[in-house]
Amino acid sequence: MTNVVVDVLLGLAVAAELVCCLGVVVMRTTADRLHYAGAGTTLGPLFVLVALLLREGFAAPGLQAVAAVGLLFVSGPLVVHALARAIRRIDVGTLEPLPEDEAP
Amino acid sequence: MPLGAVCVLEREIDGVVALQLCGTLTTLILICLAEGFQRSAYMGLAVVSAAVTWIGGLVFARFFGRYLP
Repeated sequence: MTNVVVDVLLGLAVAAELVCCLGVVVMRTTADRLHYAGAGTTLGPLFVLVALLLREGFAAPGLQAVAAVGLLFVSGPLVVHALARAIRRIDVGTLEPLPEDEAP
Repeated sequence: MPLGAVCVLEREIDGVVALQLCGTLTTLILICLAEGFQRSAYMGLAVVSAAVTWIGGLVFARFFGRYLP
């Protein structure tokens, strides 16, 4: 039974990462691509981690996987935020809101 | 391969975004390989890969945002 659950979780992880790759390739604007790259650091790693913990438990490999996936979880949004600032600076030239950005 | 095509064919900052996803995928692949070959020592490589992906992304974002037109 555990093997079936692990297989399903790994399949879900592969599917999630495939969708993210497809999004990065297909989307037209850099910000849209960034959305998919950011999503790739959350759902896929979570599925892989749960599958590995189900199989190994909290032994040494499981804890190291927790560290690796935890790093991805923490670092993903930070890098996405930094990249979004860089994209805004490249495309618009400033981080300040423009007059047309203001709500009416 | 598709992410490599984005790196080569699109703008530089799009390549950085694709590279970020490549780093995440590399970390996950290393985790799966370490588990598949039953070498728990190799799991440390995945931790290092996650950390290097983080630092590399921040460095790229910093310098691309500052120096690209």
